[in-house]
Amino acid sequence: MKPEVVSLNVNGCVHHVALAPNVTLLTALRDLGYTDVKCGCEKGDCGACAVLLKMPGAERAEAVNSCLVLAWQADGAGITTVAGLGTAERPHPLQAAFADAGAIQCGYCSPGFIIAAKALLDRNPHPSEREIREAIEGNLCRCTGYGHIIEAIQIAADKLSAEKGGAQ
Amino acid sequence: MSRYTAKPLPPTNLPELRQIGKPLRRVDAMGKAVGSTVYAGDFSMHRMLHAKVFRSTQASALIKRLDASKARALPGVVCVLTAADVAHAKLTSDMPGQTGQKQRTGSDVPVLAYERVRFYGEPIALIAAETLEIAERAMRLMDVDYEPLPGVYDPLEAMKPGAPVVTPPDNIVGRWKIRKGNVDAGFAEADLVIENSFRVPHQEHAYLEPEAGVAWIDERGVITIRVSTQVVEHFRSIARAVGVAQNKIRIQGTMVGGGFGGKEDVTVEIYLALLAKHTNRPVRLVYTREESIFGHSKRHPYVIKHRTGVKKSGRITAAEIEIISDSGAYPYLSPYVLLYTAVMSTGPYRVDNLRVNAAAVATNNPYTSAFRGFGGPQACFAYEQQMDAIAARLRMDPLELRKVNYVRTGDTTATGQTIQTAAWLEETATRAMEALGEKTPDHGAIKVGQGFSSYFQSYGRIMWLHDTSQSWVGVEMDGTVTVRAGVPDLGAGQANSLCQIAAEVLGVPLERVSIYCTDSAITPLSGTSTATRQLYMSGNATLMAATNVRKVLLERVSRQFEEVVDNLDLAESRAFVKSNPSRFMELADLAKVCAADGAQLTSLAMFKAPFHDPIDPETGQGPVFPDFTFGSYAVEVAVDTGTGQITVLKAAASHDVGRAINRAAVEGQIAGGGVQGLGYALMEDLIVKDGVILTPSLSEYLIPTCMDFPTTKVIALESGTGVGPFGAKGIGEPSLTPAAPAVASAVADAIGVRIHELPLTAGRVLAAIDGLKK
Amino acid sequence: MLPEFEFLRPHTLPESLAMLADQAPEVVPLAGGTNMIVEMRDGHSSPKRLMDISRLRELRGIRRNDAYIVIGGGTTITELLGHPLIAEHGRALREAAAMLGNPLVRNRATVAGNLANASPAADTAPPLLALGAEVELISTNGARWISLDKFMVGVNKTLIEPNELLASLRWLVPHARSASGFYKIGLRKADACSVINAAAMVVWDESGYCRHARIAIGAAAPRPVRAHAAEAALLGQPLTKDMIDGAAHLAAQVTEPIDDIRGTAAYRRRMAELMVRRLLTRIAECRASRRES
Repeated sequence: MKPEVVSLNVNGCVHHVALAPNVTLLTALRDLGYTDVKCGCEKGDCGACAVLLKMPGAERAEAVNSCLVLAWQADGAGITTVAGLGTAERPHPLQAAFADAGAIQCGYCSPGFIIAAKALLDRNPHPSEREIREAIEGNLCRCTGYGHIIEAIQIAADKLSAEKGGAQ
Repeated sequence: MSRYTAKPLPPTNLPELRQIGKPLRRVDAMGKAVGSTVYAGDFSMHRMLHAKVFRSTQASALIKRLDASKARALPGVVCVLTAADVAHAKLTSDMPGQTGQKQRTGSDVPVLAYERVRFYGEPIALIAAETLEIAERAMRLMDVDYEPLPGVYDPLEAMKPGAPVVTPPDNIVGRWKIRKGNVDAGFAEADLVIENSFRVPHQEHAYLEPEAGVAWIDERGVITIRVSTQVVEHFRSIARAVGVAQNKIRIQGTMVGGGFGGKEDVTVEIYLALLAKHTNRPVRLVYTREESIFGHSKRHPYVIKHRTGVKKSGRITAAEIEIISDSGAYPYLSPYVLLYTAVMSTGPYRVDNLRVNAAAVATNNPYTSAFRGFGGPQACFAYEQQMDAIAARLRMDPLELRKVNYVRTGDTTATGQTIQTAAWLEETATRAMEALGEKTPDHGAIKVGQGFSSYFQSYGRIMWLHDTSQSWVGVEMDGTVTVRAGVPDLGAGQANSLCQIAAEVLGVPLERVSIYCTDSAITPLSGTSTATRQLYMSGNATLMAATNVRKVLLERVSRQFEEVVDNLDLAESRAFVKSNPSRFMELADLAKVCAADGAQLTSLAMFKAPFHDPIDPETGQGPVFPDFTFGSYAVEVAVDTGTGQITVLKAAASHDVGRAINRAAVEGQIAGGGVQGLGYALMEDLIVKDGVILTPSLSEYLIPTCMDFPTTKVIALESGTGVGPFGAKGIGEPSLTPAAPAVASAVADAIGVRIHELPLTAGRVLAAIDGLKK
Repeated sequence: MLPEFEFLRPHTLPESLAMLADQAPEVVPLAGGTNMIVEMRDGHSSPKRLMDISRLRELRGIRRNDAYIVIGGGTTITELLGHPLIAEHGRALREAAAMLGNPLVRNRATVAGNLANASPAADTAPPLLALGAEVELISTNGARWISLDKFMVGVNKTLIEPNELLASLRWLVPHARSASGFYKIGLRKADACSVINAAAMVVWDESGYCRHARIAIGAAAPRPVRAHAAEAALLGQPLTKDMIDGAAHLAAQVTEPIDDIRGTAAYRRRMAELMVRRLLTRIAECRASRRES
């Protein structure tokens, strides 16, 4: 089982890395230094490892558990982690909303939630509360009780559509 | 319209504060939002080894043979340590002052099992290898022969003579007694005596971040452990276990991805220290979810029996409470958890005649220790259900019964401690119930019920532990502020609160306050992030330190401006004259002036909790805790009488938090703690059979998703009477305590029968409904 | 860590079939990985070779083909959820898709994966059984269609041969005078393994009498089962409360549930009857409201 070079475009940066087939995308990303992708269970139960995955030829990126994707399966794919959405100096509206709405306590689940929320807002810019809940039902949070998280996503959705409206 | 209306609050006249109370963006929030915060498992070092813990697959057995030779021989394995290799190291608790227990509270836990294992998952060996894959292969090459020993898996069985001995001589690892007034006379006086037994299960912390750490020996020979922990001070017991001096161990605590008490005991630290010491290389150990569930403590299961005498008016005349907890294979904090349950066993009610007997019993089940509430939630489930049962028998409204018995400021607790602060029980109960509004009507097979619970829960540690906390505050030459405190931040905003306090006192916007925390080498020790003590202890220490620095600043300005200190203030990074704010000085300039004068712009302060002696071992009388938080929780549930499934339709939580330091953080704690309590009530079923956990991952052990419960209505009240900074109380643990009994109460309201155990599974609900039909 | 294996990357469907023909049974297809990777991690499965079929376009797509709805086996659960053909002609399947796992899992999990893995609790199985679905198994030897009923044989066991791929499934577009539904009992409101699940479809005539019914129950036997006796009892009958009660009672008889960590056999048997009763009641109400409109 020889390692082969896999090409992963992470947050716009292309990595060519030799990996054995049995390495998950989660492990590959963290070993590349993307420790913003968290490991909570390694079996798709918690959503902490969620990333946006855009397979070659796919129309859009989807939020997936990176622990359930083999790095080799993502060869040539585009991957967005939470660090790719924004920085402390220029945060994405979701990141700012999470920080300001009290949606972040221990923060370990936050990257996964923000990714799932980004995927939601990309396809549904005006989600109802129910739609927000459904989009993040695969992300577990043990600290917040979810209320502030849902608020934060709503605030970010409003801000993003206001920005779009303003741009016109 | 709800059937209750909010009881008016007394005037509190809390002073207006600029930043305290505001929902400011926390200092740690943005790093977490953009993924730059480094957690313990995110950290790598050059030439780092990867560790695994080899664990017992028997709950009760002798180790007849342990052969690590094949594992050691595997290329890439650098080190395999068994008990003999580490001089039979033991972990001993460093908590001082133990009385009233049968055994020392300092439980001697073998770091690695030798000759005998007492629980499934007990660590037997440590492996360090060049890669994680090699370490995992080495795990499979470990060779063990066990000889099963009869085990005991029920504390009631373990108490019987002849039971297998887990902890000599008789499996009792802790006992408490409370005797108050004259119980027999009290029962004689009663019009009615009601007796019930309640049972609560294990609960798994299920923090999103499994245990993790990295250790290395630095250039001065100090074993440095970067770890997700609630306690920096463990370096003392780690030093003892590893055989080095206390000043040769350094703990660098990282941002903790959830603790809840599960990272309160030593977890990976000693394994890391031993491996680093033996290999002389950095070592990383990160648990898988399953290793976490098998490897760390759980909430104590309890059987609690209440026997209560009441008058027809509802007034409690006597209570007798018997408490038995399952301490699991090793005591850890069991005697203390038991104490909490005993002290809070009556609930927030006046009980003048009381007899409490409590015992913590060893079994071969997974070991139990701290979990948010620390024995309080278990007590609450029992006492609130007992109150509801009494109300039902007396045909009294549940709130009316409680109003007859609620403690008030000036009353005493079960141990005779006088309640000094506000006890807003009726205030919170009525608000929580009012927030539920009118009950949703039944439809078809769905029966709807509403219920509430009231509670009290301590904050601050047991006073005979002589708790202290230190914090250092300083002003930089550019007017920014630095705080240094040992405080571990579990995500509840422990670090941010200290910053917000310093910001308020020194008149500096929160963004210009920076904190260094959780490093035993360089930050003053602030004590554990446990027992809902950090805001109280470290908040007060920070308040003291910041106030000392403020004094120096204002004195200097008063000379500069020739104004009395009372006419001066600090805000917006300026010092200014209150009666003429156009006369001001930038804080940066003031700092430079002070430095030139040799005035000290830094302060290290120690806050001490009141120190008391232990309670009387025979009567349990004496003050125990610095203070208590009071509150209530209300739920509306829909019970599907066909499937037995329960849906929470509405949830409301009302607590007197004394004073909120950061409103968003307080509300988040209240909501989150409540949901963790709702999970405990409804779905968190840790199935343990003959000591083996059958629900070892998050596929089987279910914690709430966002679909399970509606958003909680949070009604945080501020009496301003807490002993924390600015009159704050603690809310971290109290937020969880009342949730489960509120659900049980609502379910009983819906289906007409009370269920005395948790979780409220569909099977139990149907059995209760079927029982009623018969 | 996952066990070691070789990774094969066919670029086309014929290439993948050729690989299977050459190397079966040592090569196992990998699509979404949401079961397979968990099985490997937990030590329950260690295939020598994994063949990644997750990018094969030929296995995707949902279309109407004359009288049939045809779904490519590689269709993800998310794709099922969003497709108008499923909403209109596969209501029970759509309901199940909404309750399968969670959105992160649904974006990767495939219908074929769910069926081929053949967990007795597979959520897509009862609805597809109720829709009367067939699966298409292809290999270098050709293609064969098997009814889903026959395809699922036991716990993690199907009739698929090691050299075959589950390429697509189909069912006849349900009659306009029909309705279907799915019911799931889990231990929490989302992202829960089914304790027991069920689906039903009823076709009725102009007078509202049952012309045809299919009732399937999952997680109550080694494989999802059809309640044939219950279906027969409904034939030619109106969907009255008594008929529904009777059918539900019969349906529970086909279950052979076990006690496990998620529930007892007694609970499952009791719920089987309840779920079928509620499903049939919902279908009857659906019929009634359509008549009124």
